[in-house]
Amino acid sequence: MKAILHPLCALLLAAFLAGCSASNLARPGDEGEVALHSNNSLLANRLAVEALREKTVGDLLYVQATLENGWKFELDFQYKIKWFDRDGFEVAPESQPWRQLVMAGRSQSNVQAVAPNPSAVRYEIWVRE
Amino acid sequence: MVRVLSLAALAMALLLTGCASKVDYGDAQARETVTTDFGSTDLQMIAAKMVDDMMVFPPIVDMTRERRPVLFVDRVKNKTSEHIDTESITDTIQTKLINSGKFRFVDMSVVNRVREQLEYQQDSGMVDQATAAQMGRQIGAEFMLYGNLSSIVKRDDSTKDVYYKFTLKLLNIQSGIIEWSGEKEIRKTRKRSLFGL
Repeated sequence: MKAILHPLCALLLAAFLAGCSASNLARPGDEGEVALHSNNSLLANRLAVEALREKTVGDLLYVQATLENGWKFELDFQYKIKWFDRDGFEVAPESQPWRQLVMAGRSQSNVQAVAPNPSAVRYEIWVRE
Repeated sequence: MVRVLSLAALAMALLLTGCASKVDYGDAQARETVTTDFGSTDLQMIAAKMVDDMMVFPPIVDMTRERRPVLFVDRVKNKTSEHIDTESITDTIQTKLINSGKFRFVDMSVVNRVREQLEYQQDSGMVDQATAAQMGRQIGAEFMLYGNLSSIVKRDDSTKDVYYKFTLKLLNIQSGIIEWSGEKEIRKTRKRSLFGL
């Protein structure tokens, strides 16, 4: 009994910890890709994509992500939406600025962006301090 | 004696290293908060917000569905107390709009040089007339982009607060109607630390 419970507990703990990880909280569209990217694991753990919406305006992709600050203190960070065409090339990489965002503790904010041109069909949300 | 000389050499090396200057490349999009003055981060935020707002405004979406309207940038009036190159802001906005494939622009700042080139092609006798650009064939702008950048500055002994407001408008030249207007607000605060450092 003890031998069965032990691996089960470890499995549950691993699943719980994976569920708390902020690096793959939401997925855009049906591409099955991670919505929030960051090289800063501390920031990524404190931020989560609560909801992700997208629509086409004219022929431009328009996205809105609801970010949630799970930390109890204010978070001051930058975010950027990187756009990619059908072939996986990043569209206008230098024209997409990092945008400032200050979020109060345990709050949500909507961030929005429009694709730079109609060739952008996929996107990634990046955050950094 | 040897120890004294070694120490002197070390001190000299430290002094020389301290005086050396170093040039390095940085991230052009990094957050710039050296002072509360208008900076590169503000410019980038404003341009991105204006273009995003304009692109999703329903009448603009309808207008650009089948054609690429021709615009010209008038100017953004700097109503702040700072010296700000507002043309740099409108240049960034114009670049983003052109690269969106939705708009075309005429550049009023090069009209005289274009006229000189046209006159050269027409009158100099140097250019094959079969390839020369013709006078009176330019396309008139349908819309004008213009705006204002204003600021409110408040300060006391320990705090400086600057509020910027950028307003951009798109005016139909023929009808005089403002078809779209966008605003971006920015607040920057500088607090002096406890020891004034």
